[in-house]
Amino acid sequence: MATLVMSQAPVGGFSFENCKRNAVLEGEANKVGCSMPAARKTGTTICGVVFKDGVVLGADTRATEGMIVADKNCSKIHYISPNIYCCGAGTAADTEMTTQIISSNLELHALSTGRLPRVATANRMLKQMLFRYQGYIGAALVLGGVDCNGPHLYSIYPHGSTDKLPYVTMGSGSLAAMAVFEDRYKPDMEEDEAKQLVRDAIAAGIFNDLGSGSNIDLSVITKGKVDYIRPHDEANKKGVRTGDYKYKRGTTGVLTKLVTPLNLELVEETVHTMDTS
Amino acid sequence: MSSIGTGYDLSASTFSPDGRVFQVEYAMKAVENSSTAIAIRCKDGVVFGVEKLVLSKLYEQGSNKRIFNIDRHVGMAVAGLLADARSLSEVAREEASSFRSNYGHDIPLKHLSDRVAMYVHAYTLYSAVRPFGCRKNTKQAAKTEIEKLQMKEMTCREIVKEVAKIIYIVHDEVKDKAFELELSWVGEVTNGRHELVPKDVREEAEKYAKDSLEEEDDSDEDNM
Amino acid sequence: MLEETGPEWLSEEVKTGTTIIAIEFNGGVVLGSDSRVSAGDSVVNRVMNKLSPLHDKIYCALSGSAADAQTIAEMVNYQLDVHSLEIDEDPQVRSAATLVRNISYKYKEELSAHLIVAGWDRKDKGQVFATLNGLLTRQPFAVGGSGSSYVYGFVDAEYRKGMNKEECQQFVVNTLSLAMNRDGSSGGVAYIVSIDEHGTEEKVILGNDLPTFFDQ
Repeated sequence: MATLVMSQAPVGGFSFENCKRNAVLEGEANKVGCSMPAARKTGTTICGVVFKDGVVLGADTRATEGMIVADKNCSKIHYISPNIYCCGAGTAADTEMTTQIISSNLELHALSTGRLPRVATANRMLKQMLFRYQGYIGAALVLGGVDCNGPHLYSIYPHGSTDKLPYVTMGSGSLAAMAVFEDRYKPDMEEDEAKQLVRDAIAAGIFNDLGSGSNIDLSVITKGKVDYIRPHDEANKKGVRTGDYKYKRGTTGVLTKLVTPLNLELVEETVHTMDTS
Repeated sequence: MSSIGTGYDLSASTFSPDGRVFQVEYAMKAVENSSTAIAIRCKDGVVFGVEKLVLSKLYEQGSNKRIFNIDRHVGMAVAGLLADARSLSEVAREEASSFRSNYGHDIPLKHLSDRVAMYVHAYTLYSAVRPFGCRKNTKQAAKTEIEKLQMKEMTCREIVKEVAKIIYIVHDEVKDKAFELELSWVGEVTNGRHELVPKDVREEAEKYAKDSLEEEDDSDEDNM
Repeated sequence: MLEETGPEWLSEEVKTGTTIIAIEFNGGVVLGSDSRVSAGDSVVNRVMNKLSPLHDKIYCALSGSAADAQTIAEMVNYQLDVHSLEIDEDPQVRSAATLVRNISYKYKEELSAHLIVAGWDRKDKGQVFATLNGLLTRQPFAVGGSGSSYVYGFVDAEYRKGMNKEECQQFVVNTLSLAMNRDGSSGGVAYIVSIDEHGTEEKVILGNDLPTFFDQ
C-alpha cells in the first residue's frame, strides 16, 4: 500500500499551543472544584522618577501568594548593568529571569562595543523579548538609568509596550503611588527631594494596597555612581508595646487552700554518680 | 592564451600572480565573440537594439529573442550567452516584482541594476559556479558611433533609426552572415511601458539604416 | 469580598483607546492624536505621543494594542531606513504604507492595531494612507481609534477640498477636541505634526487650550 506523506515546512516563531491546552485544562479542573497551581505573583508597588542629575527607583519588599505574605523582605530592584537598574512587578520568576537574561545580553553587548550600555538599548531588548512572548511572560517593569545621553526612565508592560516618562509607577499599588507623584512631582528636583518623593510614593502603596507592604528599597543612579539602599525605610515600623502581660505574684487573691499528701510506698532507691568530666 | 595550463584559471576565486582573474576574462571573451547589443537614452525614453546572429536557417524569425521584458517599465538587451541571459532576466524579474510587493511602486532602475550586479558579482566568488558569460555592453565600434550622436536632444522616434544604423554598421558581413535586428523602446511613446518597436517603425528604421550604409559605401569608394 | 482574578494591570492588555486623524493639503499633510493610554479602566499614560516617525518626512498615527502598534512602527522605521540607504534617497510615503500593510496582513490574526500613515515625498507630495488588517487605501483624510466613531459625522460635514495648512490644522484640532470630549478612552493633550516640503513641525496643544463647543 502506498502511504501518502505530507512534508510540511516548519513554521517559524513560537508555538502557543500549550497555552491554549492549559486554558482548557484549567476550565476542566475548575468544573470539578480543583484549581491549577499558580505562579507566585507579587502584588507590588514599584516606581521611579527622573531628577536633576539622575533617576531614583523605588520598590516595596512584600511577596505574596494569594492572601499569604510569602516573603516579608524580598528584593524587587534588579541589576541590569553598572548604570542601569530595573524594578519588577508581576510574576516573580518572570521578572527575575527576564532581567537576568537582558543583563547578561547587555554585558556581552557592552563588552563588544567597549561602551557603557544605553537605557534605550535595554528598553528595546526588554520590549522585544516581552512582545515575542505575547504577554505570557508576566513581567511589568520600571527601567531606569543614566547613560551618555543623561538620565532615562521607562515603564514596560507584559505585552511589550513601553512609555518614556519623567515619573512612572507599576504594580497593584501603582495608583496610590501615582497619586503622590501627580501631586508633588516637579521637574529638576534635587536628589534628597526626589528620594523623599519616591519613598512617600512607595509608602502610599504599602499603606493603601493589600498586595504591597514591609520595607522601602531605593536605588539612586547618577552619572558614574549608584546608591543601592536596602532597606531605605520601614514604612510602618512595629510600635513598642506599651502594655505588659506579666502579672505580679499575688495579683489574684487566694480564696481557699487545700493540701492533700500523696500516699506513696517506696519500692526501690538507687543513686547514680554524675559524669562531670 | 598564456593563462591556459598555469592552473590559475581553475577557479573564479583565484588571482594569477600578476593580479588577474582569468575566469572573469574568459567570460568577457564570450561576450566579445558574440553579437552586439546597445541601448541609448534620449530626451523622452530609452531605445534598445540587438544584432541577433541567426546561426541556422532552421530558426524561425523572431525566435531566441535577446531583448527581455523585466518589468512593465524595464527592458534588458543582452550580448553573450543566451542561456545565461535568460537566467539573469529571471533574477531581475524576481527582484522587480518583489520590490513592488514590498514597497508598492516600480523599482528604480539604479536599484535594480545594483541588485543584478551584486548577483553577477556573487557568481565570480564561488568555485562551484562559473561567471556569467553575458552583459549589456558592446563593442568599441558601436561606442564610437554612439558618441557621434546628440542623444540628449533627440526623441525615441529619431533615435530608433540611429540604433538600427549602428547595428548595421557594426555587423561584420564577412565573419557573420545572417542576422536579425531586434528593437525595443520605453518612454513617452509607449506611455512608460517597455515594448518591442512596432513592425512599421522597425521596417522604416531598417530601410534608413540600409540606405545610409549604402551612401557611406559610395562615398568611401569616391575617396579612393 | 475580594475577587481572586489577579491584578488588572497584568491581565489587561495596554490599549491606546484613541482618536487619531490625518489629512492631506496642497503640498503636505497634518496628523493629530490624543494622548491617553489605558489598561482596562485605568489610564496608564496620559501624555503619550501616538504620532511616531517612520522617516524624516513620514509619520504614522497609532491605535489599538499599544504593544502591537509600537512594534509595527519600530519594524517599519527600521525597514524604511534600510530601504532609503538602498535606493539612496528619501523613501516614498507609499513605500512606508505598503510596509505597514504587509506586516498588518501577514499577522492579521495575531495583531490588533490600526495605523494611519501620512507624509510628504518628492513624487506625490502630501499623502494619507489608512491600513486596516492588510487593506491599504489612499484617502484625502482618515480618522481612526475608538474616538473616531464619535466624529465621522463631523469630519464628513466639515471637510472641504483645497484647505490650506492652517485650515487643516484647525480641522484636526477641532475633530480631536470633539472626540476627546465624547470618548471615555480618548483625552489628555492633542499632538499635532505638520509635514511639507520644507520640513516637519511637531506641536502640543494642552487640554485647557483646546477649542470648546456647545456641549461645554
